[in-house]
Amino acid sequence: MGKLLSSPKLLAIAIAAVAALLVSVAGGALGASFGLGFLGGPIPFISIPAERVASIGGYDLLNSTVMFWFGGFVLLFIAWRAGRNVKDVPSGWQNLMEMIYEFFSNTVDGVAGGTPKAGRRFLALVSTIFLVVMIINWVGILPGVGSVGRIETIDEWTHHHLEAFEAEVEEAHPSYNHEQVEAAAMVHLLEEHGDDTFVAFDGAIVPLGRGEQQRVPLNKIISFDHGDLEDIEKAIEDGDDLSLLPILESIHHDIETGVVKGKFAYKEGGDIEASSELLGKKVGLLVPYLRGASTDINTTLAIALVAMFTVQFWGFRALGVRGYGGKFLVNPITQGPIATFVGILEAFGELTRTISFTFRLFGNMFAGEILLIAMAFLLPLIGIIPFMGLELFVGVIQAYIFAMLTLVFGVMAVASHGDHDSHAEDH
Amino acid sequence: MEALGITLQQLLTQLVSFLILFFLLYKLAYGPIMGMLDSRALKIKESLEAAETARLDAASSAERVEAEIASARVDGQKIVAEARDAASKLREQEQGRAREEVEVMLDRARTEIGREKDAAVEEVRKEFAGLAITAAERIVEGSLDAKSHSSLIDKVLEEGLSERKN
Repeated sequence: MGKLLSSPKLLAIAIAAVAALLVSVAGGALGASFGLGFLGGPIPFISIPAERVASIGGYDLLNSTVMFWFGGFVLLFIAWRAGRNVKDVPSGWQNLMEMIYEFFSNTVDGVAGGTPKAGRRFLALVSTIFLVVMIINWVGILPGVGSVGRIETIDEWTHHHLEAFEAEVEEAHPSYNHEQVEAAAMVHLLEEHGDDTFVAFDGAIVPLGRGEQQRVPLNKIISFDHGDLEDIEKAIEDGDDLSLLPILESIHHDIETGVVKGKFAYKEGGDIEASSELLGKKVGLLVPYLRGASTDINTTLAIALVAMFTVQFWGFRALGVRGYGGKFLVNPITQGPIATFVGILEAFGELTRTISFTFRLFGNMFAGEILLIAMAFLLPLIGIIPFMGLELFVGVIQAYIFAMLTLVFGVMAVASHGDHDSHAEDH
Repeated sequence: MEALGITLQQLLTQLVSFLILFFLLYKLAYGPIMGMLDSRALKIKESLEAAETARLDAASSAERVEAEIASARVDGQKIVAEARDAASKLREQEQGRAREEVEVMLDRARTEIGREKDAAVEEVRKEFAGLAITAAERIVEGSLDAKSHSSLIDKVLEEGLSERKN
């Protein structure tokens, strides 16, 4: 403490840190309950499926794929710098790459039997999985990933959701014509999602300072009430000309404009605060341009599939079709029904491993993303700093777990099932 | 599946991306680095072996050099001792010879001197005989008194001496 007070530089840093802490506490969700919360924004909509950023000739480019490719390019750049001119006396990137490669070389040899080069066949895939998973985990927590994006308007949102409802209605009422299906789907949508909330944007940015109060329910964007929906349903059933129905037309109009219509009332702790502040503001959802690839289940599933298929390949190559297949398909007559059952369990085990691979990585990284978002709203400015460090750590740990499990499963697959028997005969 | 966002299109995209990434990583980094690590391990092993043999060589050659130095020292000492022996022998020889020569010369000188002395004595004797004869003749010739006698002898001696001088 004495040292702190004697150095003006340290003192200034300490004061700045305390000030930042106070500002972030006051500006965050905690301060919002005391009428402050000037840094808080509405919590963004968290979507488990990755969002589409572009559609090129029927191919949907997802924001997670963009980050996967970005991470891949970073990795390839490092690999290119490391491998383009290998020297006996390494320097720079070659040093780093060699360190990682040598570490995994020693690890795979150690796990696969302890003799040098015993694990050579596992080395390339294990280190690739580690490097790829680590890099996509790490680029996924860069600032801007998940927070910079496009505003999905109410128009796009309803179109997206109507499709599912239309399919439902068509199935239930095959006799409906196109207009009737559309109208019925709209009714279902409004009934089900009428209370869903959307963010009222300040131009193109998510506004700060109002926290959750910046969220608007769908029924304040599209003016309708329960009676209107009943009217529409009745008209559909009666087979009336729906294009003449004024309420349907106004609903479509409201969807197209996508701005706050109703006088907005935000409810918190029993108080109803009526506000017309948001009237006329554009409403929508933030669709990030970028999203960590490991927070998309397609990526984790793809890597898990590669890992588990390669494990099977190693098994078949090491033991032969009969040897490796014999682990799963056991003749109940010669070796007993229990062995057969165990074989079936083993086969299911391979499937479960794939799924656990997928959801372990996805769950950890997705939870990390949500943790970072939550910290950004609880303690804006500084709350995220320790958790960024934590996420870096989690990213490398998850990559290591993924790689090590692949290695262990591989070693188990190539181990001969008959090892015990042959040893027993030896003695 | 729909709720989790799993679609065949995206799954295949990620699958293909991962496999391409794997292939390129293998081409760009693993291949060269693996080859390099192996060749480096080989090189290190070779150079360690070479260093070991060089160390053994150096040790054996140092031993050899030491042995050579030791034998050279022994040789040198022997040579020095031999030289010293030879020198002292030579010196004694020379001394002996010199002494002999000196004795020979002394003998020769002594005999020479003796001979000279004998010759001189002989000559003197001969002279004396002659002179005595001459003196006797003179004495016989003249009248001789004691005075003239001694003068005569002196005269003869003087003559004889002057004759000898001439």
